[in-house]
Amino acid sequence: MKREHEDAGRMGGDDPMAMGPEIAKGKMVPVMRTGDEMECGVDELLAALGYKVRASDMADVAQKLAQLEVAMSSDDASHLPQLAADTVHYDPSDLYAWLDSMLSELNAPPCAQLLPPTATASRGNGHSSTAAKPSAAAPPRASALHDFKPVVSAASVGRVVCDTEQQSEKILSPRDPKRMRTCSSSSSSSSAKEVASSLKSATEALPVVVVDTQETGVRLVHALLASAEAVQQENLKAADALLKQISMLAASQSGPMRKVAGYFAEALARRIYRHSPLPQADRVALDLLHSHFYESAPYLKFAHFTANQAILEAFTSFRQVHVIDFGLKQGMQWPALLQALALRPGGPPSFRLTGIGPPQPDNSDALQEVGWKLSMLAESIGIDFHFRGFVASSLADLEPQMLLEPEGKRRDRDGVEEAVAVNSVMELHQLLARPGAMEKVLGTVRALRPRIVTVVEEEANHNGRTFLERFTEALHYYSSMFDSLENGGDSGADGELEEQQRHRAMADAYLGRQICNVVASEGTDRTERHETLGRWRGRMAQAGFEPVHLGSNAFKQASMLLALYAGGDGFRVEEAEGCLTLGWHTRPLIATSAWRVGPAADFAL
Amino acid sequence: MMMLLLPHREEEEEGGAAGRRRFPINDNADLLAEVLGRLDGRSLAVAGCVCRLWSAVGRREAVWEAVCHRHVAVGRAGAAGGTRSVVAALGGYRRLYRLCIGPALDRLAGVRRQGPAVSSAARHVSLSLALSLFSIDCYERLGGVGGRQQQPPASLLFLCKPVDVS
Repeated sequence: MKREHEDAGRMGGDDPMAMGPEIAKGKMVPVMRTGDEMECGVDELLAALGYKVRASDMADVAQKLAQLEVAMSSDDASHLPQLAADTVHYDPSDLYAWLDSMLSELNAPPCAQLLPPTATASRGNGHSSTAAKPSAAAPPRASALHDFKPVVSAASVGRVVCDTEQQSEKILSPRDPKRMRTCSSSSSSSSAKEVASSLKSATEALPVVVVDTQETGVRLVHALLASAEAVQQENLKAADALLKQISMLAASQSGPMRKVAGYFAEALARRIYRHSPLPQADRVALDLLHSHFYESAPYLKFAHFTANQAILEAFTSFRQVHVIDFGLKQGMQWPALLQALALRPGGPPSFRLTGIGPPQPDNSDALQEVGWKLSMLAESIGIDFHFRGFVASSLADLEPQMLLEPEGKRRDRDGVEEAVAVNSVMELHQLLARPGAMEKVLGTVRALRPRIVTVVEEEANHNGRTFLERFTEALHYYSSMFDSLENGGDSGADGELEEQQRHRAMADAYLGRQICNVVASEGTDRTERHETLGRWRGRMAQAGFEPVHLGSNAFKQASMLLALYAGGDGFRVEEAEGCLTLGWHTRPLIATSAWRVGPAADFAL
Repeated sequence: MMMLLLPHREEEEEGGAAGRRRFPINDNADLLAEVLGRLDGRSLAVAGCVCRLWSAVGRREAVWEAVCHRHVAVGRAGAAGGTRSVVAALGGYRRLYRLCIGPALDRLAGVRRQGPAVSSAARHVSLSLALSLFSIDCYERLGGVGGRQQQPPASLLFLCKPVDVS
């Protein structure tokens, strides 16, 4: 976008070039002077944005930009609509040559110029090796601009980039190029009035900070992606400079976009400066954040209800049942299952729960407390309840014989073995940080011969090979997530219960920690290795499991639960080959699947 | 007793000709309970403000049980006796209505007003869902061991209407 180039021109003017206030009109006022960045060759800040400007030409570029500004602002309004973008521009990234051509054409009779918003296309192409999605997004956007050339160029001549996409939301949720194109067509009509407003702002001599949140939203996303790419290319200085830009842009945003940008910027800063990763918050604090996340968004409730339904169906007609929970935390999943078992036709079974949790730093036995509370509840509703807690720092430390009773599975009076269910809510992805751990755990699960294995995982690909891939995916995922937290709660922020706001703030912090882990950590520290449902399916199939379809009961219950949430129509429960996913608008965010041991005796370990 | 009955019978005999019978409802608490059990939750709560008798009858678990069953879709024909004991253990039908069913019905009514976007499958509250939410709330209220500081139960906050605290 044109404004961005000129900004970049200014930012790239880190050599002691005085960019006077008259140039800054309509732009962000603070000028970046980032010390001696004169390197022979291409200026690196501009290069990060896709422009090749020789450092030695920088002074010329700045001067020409000033001339261009003067020339344009002196034109009267009648000329501007006629400046159709007709000339051919061969290399949009060559800012110097473009400025030359613009100036010569303006001084000559006005003829059409092709706009460097196509530079976004070049940037997109330049990034084609990495994240596929932004580059897929950029070319259609550029072509959309081509389609509406006359109006667009007029607007840009007026020094306001007609951001024809209105994309700040669209980038974040569906990455559908088609949708972007239709968006741009609808907004071209608004460009006319933008031209008028831009003229006004251009003629003012005072620096005006135009806060156009949609446009700054798009710029913010671009800046984040550019910074991430700079980090990937080990260009830490450029990344740092972009971070400053990001924080300025983020200040102009509101709501979920601001929070997302804030967390990602912080995570990038940690990565750039190699701060130590977030200190391992003590388990009490982590549990607190987790329980607030439970309360402020439907994702965990959805996970628990659908998994419980699968377990309930697998346990029909068994008189002895055993559930192994890979991450007990506060045990919020089990009261509902206990209640459902108490009310099932035929009466409740004898219920054993094995809960696994991480070691506690202060020697308190959190698992036993949870077990005690659950047993109180079970006793009051008449269920024979047994509990065992296991402390394990990693699931890979578990052996099958540890989890079953010392004498193996219990048998009821008819000699039927107890039914075992293994439940994992967002625990398995952490095993991917250590090679071999996942295979061992799946082998352990298989050795338990469970009736059903319920797996709930985030539906995202945060385990890509390159950093930029992971960053882009995470940006999209957490933007949708924060959006849903903001808008999926009670309508309207005003009049919100103070408690709900507190829950929301804690839920934000919970997600912020995940973001920090995905972006700033590497190796075994990076435990938030989310993967998509397709990959989990493949992994489970390879380990010898076959899928169990979650029935329509689970779907109905999940839909009813979501209907109770005030912003309910944003949430979508979908069924995909027997698995249920919950998403925000068209983006699935969490997926529940159920498995049982397949008949094949041999499988690849 | 007989003295009390005679006037009734005389009244009936007299009124029989006129075709009108007067029957003070407050004389028969069970009949009152039957009637109140056919109200919706809000009206029942209002009825409890009429007089002490109505307040007492309106608090009966049987009355609220009837109200609950009237307003939720009972998924499968579960053992009614079993349900009663479980619900009693979790806190009772009146509490179940107040905490789960009532707010859920209000929320769904609000959603319905907004438009037909909600799928029909999701438009009613099922007893099993209400009981699941109720059991979670009950679990949250259980005290911790050793009097550790307990957070206020919040799993049902999502059902609360926003209150203007300005």
